[in-house]
Amino acid sequence: MTVQTSRRRGGGYLERPAPSGLADVIEIILDKGIVIDAYVRVSLVGIELLTIDARIVIASVDTYLRFAEATNRLDLVEHGGGKPLDDFIGNLQEKGASKKTSGAVKGVKKAITGGGKDDDEEGRRPARKSSQARRRQSEEA
Amino acid sequence: MTPVVMDTRDAIETAHTALEGGYYVYAVVQPAPNRVPAGLTGVHGGPVLLVGIETVAAAVGRIPLDRSPGRRAELMAHSKVVDALAECGAVVPIQFGSVMADEEGILEQLLVPNEEFFLALLDELAGRAQYNLKASYLEDVVLAEVIAEDGEIRQLREYTRTLADDEGHGERLRLGQLVAHALEHKREFDAAVLLRAITPYVAAQAPRTSHGVDHLLDVAFLVNDEVRAAFEEQLEGLAEAVHERIRLRLVGPLAPYDFVGGE
Repeated sequence: MTVQTSRRRGGGYLERPAPSGLADVIEIILDKGIVIDAYVRVSLVGIELLTIDARIVIASVDTYLRFAEATNRLDLVEHGGGKPLDDFIGNLQEKGASKKTSGAVKGVKKAITGGGKDDDEEGRRPARKSSQARRRQSEEA
Repeated sequence: MTPVVMDTRDAIETAHTALEGGYYVYAVVQPAPNRVPAGLTGVHGGPVLLVGIETVAAAVGRIPLDRSPGRRAELMAHSKVVDALAECGAVVPIQFGSVMADEEGILEQLLVPNEEFFLALLDELAGRAQYNLKASYLEDVVLAEVIAEDGEIRQLREYTRTLADDEGHGERLRLGQLVAHALEHKREFDAAVLLRAITPYVAAQAPRTSHGVDHLLDVAFLVNDEVRAAFEEQLEGLAEAVHERIRLRLVGPLAPYDFVGGE
Protein backbone atom coordinates (compact mmCIF):
# COMPACT_ATOMS: atom_id res chain seq x y z
CA MET A 1 0.00 0.00 0.00
CA THR A 2 2.41 2.64 1.07
CA VAL A 3 5.17 0.78 -0.64
CA GLN A 4 3.54 0.72 -4.03
CA THR A 5 5.72 1.80 -6.79
CA SER A 6 4.56 3.61 -9.83
CA ARG A 7 4.15 1.06 -12.51
CA ARG A 8 2.51 0.28 -15.76
CA ARG A 9 1.33 -3.19 -16.45
CA GLY A 10 -0.45 -5.05 -19.15
CA GLY A 11 -1.07 -2.73 -22.04
CA GLY A 12 0.37 0.09 -20.00
CA TYR A 13 -2.56 2.42 -20.43
CA LEU A 14 -3.73 2.33 -16.84
CA GLU A 15 -1.85 4.79 -14.67
CA ARG A 16 -0.94 3.37 -11.28
CA PRO A 17 0.73 6.17 -9.37
CA ALA A 18 2.08 5.64 -5.90
CA PRO A 19 0.46 8.19 -3.63
CA SER A 20 3.65 9.51 -2.21
CA GLY A 21 3.35 13.25 -2.23
CA LEU A 22 1.51 15.52 0.15
CA ALA A 23 -1.10 16.47 -2.42
CA ASP A 24 -1.91 12.84 -3.18
CA VAL A 25 -2.21 11.99 0.46
CA ILE A 26 -4.43 14.97 1.14
CA GLU A 27 -6.67 13.92 -1.67
CA ILE A 28 -6.94 10.41 -0.34
CA ILE A 29 -7.51 11.05 3.33
CA LEU A 30 -8.83 14.56 3.71
CA ASP A 31 -12.21 14.61 5.34
CA LYS A 32 -12.39 10.82 5.26
CA GLY A 33 -12.86 8.48 8.15
CA ILE A 34 -14.90 8.32 11.28
CA VAL A 35 -15.39 11.68 12.89
CA ILE A 36 -15.03 11.70 16.63
CA ASP A 37 -17.46 14.04 18.30
CA ALA A 38 -15.90 17.39 18.91
CA TYR A 39 -16.74 17.39 22.57
CA VAL A 40 -14.69 14.30 23.30
CA ARG A 41 -11.90 15.25 20.99
CA VAL A 42 -8.97 17.50 21.55
CA SER A 43 -8.37 19.06 18.20
CA LEU A 44 -4.94 19.57 16.90
CA VAL A 45 -3.93 23.13 16.44
CA GLY A 46 -3.75 23.92 12.80
CA ILE A 47 -5.83 21.03 11.58
CA GLU A 48 -8.44 23.36 10.26
CA LEU A 49 -5.98 24.50 7.64
CA LEU A 50 -6.34 21.12 6.05
CA THR A 51 -10.07 20.80 6.17
CA ILE A 52 -10.80 23.57 3.82
CA ASP A 53 -13.82 23.32 1.72
CA ALA A 54 -14.19 26.37 -0.34
CA ARG A 55 -17.37 26.25 -2.29
CA ILE A 56 -17.19 27.34 -5.84
CA VAL A 57 -20.29 27.18 -7.90
CA ILE A 58 -19.29 25.72 -11.21
CA ALA A 59 -21.97 27.58 -13.10
CA SER A 60 -20.17 30.85 -12.71
CA VAL A 61 -19.28 33.37 -15.32
CA ASP A 62 -15.61 32.69 -14.78
CA THR A 63 -16.08 29.01 -15.35
CA TYR A 64 -17.93 29.52 -18.58
CA LEU A 65 -15.27 31.89 -19.80
CA ARG A 66 -12.69 29.28 -18.93
CA PHE A 67 -14.54 26.70 -21.01
CA ALA A 68 -14.78 29.15 -23.88
CA GLU A 69 -11.10 29.89 -23.61
CA ALA A 70 -10.21 26.20 -23.63
CA THR A 71 -12.36 25.68 -26.69
CA ASN A 72 -10.89 28.60 -28.53
CA ARG A 73 -7.36 27.64 -27.68
CA LEU A 74 -7.80 24.32 -29.38
CA ASP A 75 -6.14 24.07 -32.72
CA LEU A 76 -8.26 21.61 -34.60
CA VAL A 77 -6.10 21.40 -37.68
CA GLU A 78 -2.96 20.59 -35.81
CA HIS A 79 -4.64 18.11 -33.59
CA GLY A 80 -4.50 14.57 -34.85
CA GLY A 81 -2.80 15.48 -38.08
CA GLY A 82 -5.90 16.47 -40.00
CA LYS A 83 -7.94 13.38 -39.29
CA PRO A 84 -11.63 14.03 -39.50
CA LEU A 85 -12.98 15.01 -36.13
CA ASP A 86 -15.35 12.10 -36.12
CA ASP A 87 -12.43 9.76 -35.81
CA PHE A 88 -11.76 11.10 -32.40
CA ILE A 89 -15.09 10.06 -31.14
CA GLY A 90 -14.18 6.85 -29.47
CA ASN A 91 -16.11 3.70 -29.01
CA LEU A 92 -17.72 4.82 -25.82
CA GLN A 93 -19.42 7.60 -27.68
CA GLU A 94 -20.74 5.52 -30.51
CA LYS A 95 -24.22 5.23 -29.17
CA GLY A 96 -24.38 8.97 -29.25
CA ALA A 97 -24.99 10.87 -26.11
CA SER A 98 -27.60 13.50 -26.62
CA LYS A 99 -26.04 16.85 -27.01
CA LYS A 100 -28.53 19.32 -25.79
CA THR A 101 -29.01 19.91 -22.15
CA SER A 102 -31.16 22.08 -20.06
CA GLY A 103 -30.62 23.50 -16.67
CA ALA A 104 -27.59 25.08 -15.20
CA VAL A 105 -24.45 23.13 -14.56
CA LYS A 106 -24.24 23.29 -10.88
CA GLY A 107 -21.77 21.86 -8.54
CA VAL A 108 -19.71 22.62 -5.58
CA LYS A 109 -16.04 22.36 -5.70
CA LYS A 110 -14.05 21.25 -2.81
CA ALA A 111 -10.83 23.08 -3.22
CA ILE A 112 -8.04 21.16 -1.72
CA THR A 113 -4.92 23.07 -1.11
CA GLY A 114 -1.63 21.50 -0.47
CA GLY A 115 1.13 22.78 1.74
CA GLY A 116 1.94 26.41 1.41
CA LYS A 117 -1.02 27.33 -0.71
CA ASP A 118 -2.89 30.08 0.98
CA ASP A 119 -5.37 31.32 -1.54
CA ASP A 120 -8.33 29.30 -0.36
CA GLU A 121 -7.90 29.67 3.31
CA GLU A 122 -10.76 32.04 3.78
CA GLY A 123 -12.97 29.02 3.43
CA ARG A 124 -11.29 27.15 6.24
CA ARG A 125 -13.23 25.69 9.04
CA PRO A 126 -12.49 23.14 11.70
CA ALA A 127 -13.29 19.51 11.20
CA ARG A 128 -16.85 18.93 12.15
CA LYS A 129 -19.33 16.20 12.22
CA SER A 130 -21.14 17.63 9.29
CA SER A 131 -18.22 17.29 6.95
CA GLN A 132 -19.63 14.10 5.51
CA ALA A 133 -22.91 15.77 4.80
CA ARG A 134 -21.14 18.62 3.14
CA ARG A 135 -19.27 16.22 0.98
CA ARG A 136 -22.42 14.47 -0.05
CA GLN A 137 -23.88 17.75 -1.16
CA SER A 138 -20.84 18.49 -3.13
CA GLU A 139 -21.01 15.49 -5.38
CA GLU A 140 -21.14 16.76 -8.86
CA ALA A 141 -24.48 17.11 -10.47
CA MET B 1 -13.23 -0.53 32.74
CA THR B 2 -9.50 -1.11 32.95
CA PRO B 3 -7.57 0.31 30.08
CA VAL B 4 -5.79 -2.34 28.12
CA VAL B 5 -2.66 -1.02 26.55
CA MET B 6 -1.15 -3.33 24.03
CA ASP B 7 2.25 -2.31 22.95
CA THR B 8 4.16 -4.20 20.35
CA ARG B 9 7.47 -3.26 21.86
CA ASP B 10 8.47 -1.82 25.20
CA ALA B 11 6.12 -1.06 27.99
CA ILE B 12 6.82 2.57 27.47
CA GLU B 13 3.44 3.85 28.37
CA THR B 14 3.37 3.12 32.04
CA ALA B 15 4.16 6.59 33.29
CA HIS B 16 2.28 8.43 30.62
CA THR B 17 -0.40 9.87 32.87
CA ALA B 18 2.17 12.33 34.10
CA LEU B 19 2.76 13.57 30.58
CA GLU B 20 0.99 16.59 29.28
CA GLY B 21 -0.14 15.02 26.09
CA GLY B 22 -2.93 13.45 24.18
CA TYR B 23 -3.61 10.44 22.05
CA TYR B 24 -3.61 10.78 18.33
CA VAL B 25 -6.17 8.27 17.03
CA TYR B 26 -5.42 6.66 13.66
CA ALA B 27 -7.97 3.93 13.32
CA VAL B 28 -10.07 1.32 15.06
CA VAL B 29 -9.04 -2.31 14.64
CA GLN B 30 -9.65 -5.69 16.17
CA PRO B 31 -6.99 -6.30 18.80
CA ALA B 32 -4.77 -9.27 18.15
CA PRO B 33 -1.18 -10.23 18.81
CA ASN B 34 1.08 -8.47 16.32
CA ARG B 35 -1.84 -6.47 14.99
CA VAL B 36 0.47 -3.47 14.72
CA PRO B 37 3.38 -4.19 12.40
CA ALA B 38 6.64 -4.25 14.34
CA GLY B 39 8.50 -0.98 14.25
CA LEU B 40 5.61 1.04 12.86
CA THR B 41 5.94 4.66 13.89
CA GLY B 42 3.49 7.48 13.54
CA VAL B 43 3.10 11.11 14.49
CA HIS B 44 6.27 12.65 15.89
CA GLY B 45 8.03 9.37 15.22
CA GLY B 46 6.32 7.72 18.18
CA PRO B 47 5.19 4.11 18.32
CA VAL B 48 1.71 2.99 17.40
CA LEU B 49 -0.14 1.49 20.34
CA LEU B 50 -3.45 -0.23 20.78
CA VAL B 51 -5.77 1.01 23.47
CA GLY B 52 -8.92 -0.98 23.70
CA ILE B 53 -11.33 -3.46 25.09
CA GLU B 54 -11.45 -7.12 24.21
CA THR B 55 -13.23 -6.75 20.91
CA VAL B 56 -12.12 -3.42 19.48
CA ALA B 57 -9.10 -1.21 19.94
CA ALA B 58 -7.98 2.21 18.86
CA ALA B 59 -4.59 2.44 17.22
CA VAL B 60 -3.09 5.54 18.78
CA GLY B 61 0.12 7.44 19.21
CA ARG B 62 1.12 9.78 22.01
CA ILE B 63 1.27 13.36 20.94
CA PRO B 64 2.22 16.47 22.86
CA LEU B 65 -0.51 19.05 22.81
CA ASP B 66 1.71 22.05 23.30
CA ARG B 67 3.73 21.61 20.16
CA SER B 68 3.03 22.83 16.74
CA PRO B 69 1.76 19.71 15.00
CA GLY B 70 3.73 20.06 11.78
CA ARG B 71 0.85 19.36 9.47
CA ARG B 72 2.68 17.80 6.59
CA ALA B 73 4.56 15.28 8.68
CA GLU B 74 1.43 14.32 10.56
CA LEU B 75 -0.60 13.89 7.45
CA MET B 76 2.02 11.60 5.97
CA ALA B 77 2.31 9.71 9.26
CA HIS B 78 -1.44 9.27 9.47
CA SER B 79 -1.63 7.89 5.97
CA LYS B 80 1.35 5.62 6.52
CA VAL B 81 0.00 4.16 9.75
CA VAL B 82 -3.54 3.61 8.53
CA ASP B 83 -2.41 1.94 5.33
CA ALA B 84 0.12 -0.20 7.19
CA LEU B 85 -2.61 -1.34 9.57
CA ALA B 86 -4.86 -2.07 6.60
CA GLU B 87 -2.24 -4.33 5.10
CA CYS B 88 -2.65 -6.85 7.87
CA GLY B 89 -6.31 -6.68 8.75
CA ALA B 90 -9.49 -4.68 8.68
CA VAL B 91 -9.31 -1.07 9.77
CA VAL B 92 -11.81 1.67 10.35
CA PRO B 93 -9.91 4.87 9.62
CA ILE B 94 -10.52 7.77 11.94
CA GLN B 95 -10.55 11.23 10.44
CA PHE B 96 -7.16 12.87 10.21
CA GLY B 97 -6.33 15.11 13.14
CA SER B 98 -8.38 13.38 15.81
CA VAL B 99 -6.75 13.64 19.21
CA MET B 100 -8.25 12.46 22.44
CA ALA B 101 -7.18 13.51 25.88
CA ASP B 102 -6.77 10.20 27.69
CA GLU B 103 -7.28 6.46 27.63
CA GLU B 104 -10.46 6.70 29.62
CA GLY B 105 -11.94 8.87 26.92
CA ILE B 106 -10.88 6.47 24.19
CA LEU B 107 -12.46 3.56 26.01
CA GLU B 108 -15.54 5.11 27.44
CA GLN B 109 -16.43 7.62 24.80
CA LEU B 110 -15.11 6.15 21.60
CA LEU B 111 -14.99 2.37 21.88
CA VAL B 112 -17.50 1.15 24.44
CA PRO B 113 -20.50 3.13 23.20
CA ASN B 114 -19.70 2.29 19.58
CA GLU B 115 -18.50 -1.28 20.03
CA GLU B 116 -21.23 -2.85 17.93
CA PHE B 117 -20.91 -0.22 15.25
CA PHE B 118 -17.17 -0.76 14.95
CA LEU B 119 -17.50 -4.53 15.02
CA ALA B 120 -20.09 -4.51 12.26
CA LEU B 121 -18.00 -2.15 10.17
CA LEU B 122 -14.80 -4.14 10.69
CA ASP B 123 -16.65 -7.26 9.70
CA GLU B 124 -17.93 -5.62 6.55
CA LEU B 125 -14.50 -4.29 5.61
CA ALA B 126 -12.57 -7.47 6.34
CA GLY B 127 -10.92 -8.90 3.24
CA ARG B 128 -11.58 -5.82 1.17
CA ALA B 129 -9.50 -2.92 -0.02
CA GLN B 130 -10.21 0.49 -1.46
CA TYR B 131 -9.12 1.76 -4.84
CA ASN B 132 -9.57 5.30 -6.07
CA LEU B 133 -10.23 5.69 -9.75
CA LYS B 134 -10.00 8.93 -11.64
CA ALA B 135 -11.03 9.15 -15.25
CA SER B 136 -10.16 12.26 -17.22
CA TYR B 137 -10.81 13.24 -20.76
CA LEU B 138 -7.98 14.13 -23.01
CA GLU B 139 -9.07 17.73 -23.06
CA ASP B 140 -8.22 18.51 -26.66
CA VAL B 141 -9.95 15.38 -27.91
CA VAL B 142 -13.14 15.90 -26.01
CA LEU B 143 -13.31 19.57 -26.90
CA ALA B 144 -12.83 18.65 -30.54
CA GLU B 145 -15.77 16.29 -30.18
CA VAL B 146 -17.90 18.99 -28.65
CA ILE B 147 -17.06 21.38 -31.46
CA ALA B 148 -17.74 18.76 -34.11
CA GLU B 149 -21.05 17.77 -32.62
CA ASP B 150 -22.65 21.13 -32.10
CA GLY B 151 -23.17 23.72 -34.82
CA GLU B 152 -23.77 26.62 -32.49
CA ILE B 153 -20.59 25.89 -30.57
CA ARG B 154 -18.72 25.73 -33.85
CA GLN B 155 -20.07 29.07 -35.02
CA LEU B 156 -19.52 30.83 -31.72
CA ARG B 157 -16.03 29.49 -31.54
CA GLU B 158 -15.17 30.67 -35.00
CA TYR B 159 -16.68 34.05 -34.28
CA THR B 160 -15.06 34.68 -30.90
CA ARG B 161 -11.68 33.47 -32.07
CA THR B 162 -11.46 36.40 -34.43
CA LEU B 163 -12.18 38.94 -31.71
CA ALA B 164 -9.83 40.77 -29.42
CA ASP B 165 -9.68 39.50 -25.86
CA ASP B 166 -11.89 42.25 -24.52
CA GLU B 167 -14.61 41.83 -27.12
CA GLY B 168 -17.55 39.48 -27.44
CA HIS B 169 -18.05 38.87 -23.76
CA GLY B 170 -21.63 37.73 -24.27
CA GLU B 171 -20.71 35.35 -27.05
CA ARG B 172 -17.84 33.92 -25.07
CA LEU B 173 -20.12 33.36 -22.14
CA ARG B 174 -22.67 31.63 -24.33
CA LEU B 175 -19.94 29.50 -25.89
CA GLY B 176 -18.63 28.50 -22.49
CA GLN B 177 -22.09 27.65 -21.31
CA LEU B 178 -22.75 25.44 -24.30
CA VAL B 179 -19.43 23.70 -23.93
CA ALA B 180 -20.00 23.14 -20.22
CA HIS B 181 -23.39 21.62 -20.88
CA ALA B 182 -22.10 19.46 -23.69
CA LEU B 183 -19.31 18.18 -21.47
CA GLU B 184 -21.76 17.50 -18.71
CA HIS B 185 -23.74 15.27 -21.01
CA LYS B 186 -20.70 13.46 -22.28
CA ARG B 187 -19.65 12.87 -18.71
CA GLU B 188 -22.97 11.40 -17.74
CA PHE B 189 -22.89 9.04 -20.66
CA ASP B 190 -19.25 8.01 -20.48
CA ALA B 191 -19.23 7.71 -16.70
CA ALA B 192 -22.17 5.31 -16.88
CA VAL B 193 -20.40 3.23 -19.53
CA LEU B 194 -17.21 3.06 -17.47
CA LEU B 195 -19.06 2.18 -14.30
CA ARG B 196 -21.02 -0.56 -16.03
CA ALA B 197 -17.74 -2.19 -16.98
CA ILE B 198 -16.33 -1.94 -13.48
CA THR B 199 -19.17 -2.56 -11.04
CA PRO B 200 -19.29 -6.34 -11.54
CA TYR B 201 -15.91 -6.43 -9.83
CA VAL B 202 -16.63 -4.23 -6.84
CA ALA B 203 -18.38 -4.74 -3.54
CA ALA B 204 -19.23 -1.07 -3.10
CA GLN B 205 -18.52 2.32 -4.58
CA ALA B 206 -18.51 5.86 -3.27
CA PRO B 207 -18.31 9.00 -5.37
CA ARG B 208 -15.48 11.40 -4.72
CA THR B 209 -15.24 14.95 -5.93
CA SER B 210 -13.21 16.27 -8.77
CA HIS B 211 -13.71 19.01 -11.30
CA GLY B 212 -12.23 20.69 -14.31
CA VAL B 213 -12.73 20.70 -18.03
CA ASP B 214 -11.26 17.23 -18.33
CA HIS B 215 -12.99 15.67 -15.34
CA LEU B 216 -14.96 12.56 -16.11
CA LEU B 217 -15.18 10.29 -13.09
CA ASP B 218 -13.77 10.23 -9.59
CA VAL B 219 -14.87 7.32 -7.49
CA ALA B 220 -13.71 5.03 -4.72
CA PHE B 221 -14.29 1.30 -5.02
CA LEU B 222 -14.28 -1.33 -2.34
CA VAL B 223 -12.95 -4.55 -3.81
CA ASN B 224 -12.85 -8.03 -2.31
CA ASP B 225 -9.30 -9.31 -1.98
CA GLU B 226 -9.93 -12.37 -4.13
CA VAL B 227 -11.21 -10.19 -6.99
CA ARG B 228 -8.46 -7.58 -6.84
CA ALA B 229 -6.37 -9.09 -9.60
CA ALA B 230 -9.37 -9.42 -11.92
CA PHE B 231 -10.49 -5.90 -11.06
CA GLU B 232 -7.06 -4.47 -11.88
CA GLU B 233 -6.96 -6.46 -15.08
CA GLN B 234 -10.39 -5.22 -16.10
CA LEU B 235 -9.29 -1.64 -15.54
CA GLU B 236 -6.16 -2.22 -17.53
CA GLY B 237 -8.27 -3.45 -20.43
CA LEU B 238 -10.69 -0.61 -20.06
CA ALA B 239 -7.89 1.93 -20.01
CA GLU B 240 -6.60 0.52 -23.25
CA ALA B 241 -10.05 0.50 -24.85
CA VAL B 242 -10.71 4.15 -24.11
CA HIS B 243 -7.20 5.55 -24.26
CA GLU B 244 -7.78 7.69 -27.32
CA ARG B 245 -10.02 10.01 -25.39
CA ILE B 246 -9.94 9.00 -21.73
CA ARG B 247 -7.15 8.53 -19.21
CA LEU B 248 -7.64 6.23 -16.24
CA ARG B 249 -5.67 6.62 -13.05
CA LEU B 250 -5.96 4.01 -10.31
CA VAL B 251 -4.62 4.48 -6.79
CA GLY B 252 -4.62 1.61 -4.37
CA PRO B 253 -5.04 -0.72 -2.65
CA LEU B 254 -5.68 1.67 0.20
CA ALA B 255 -7.35 1.58 3.59
CA PRO B 256 -11.13 1.96 3.18
CA TYR B 257 -11.20 5.70 3.84
CA ASP B 258 -14.39 6.24 1.86
CA PHE B 259 -16.38 3.32 3.24
CA VAL B 260 -16.77 4.05 6.89
CA GLY B 261 -19.72 6.40 6.77
CA GLY B 262 -18.76 8.85 9.43
CA GLU B 263 -21.96 10.66 10.09
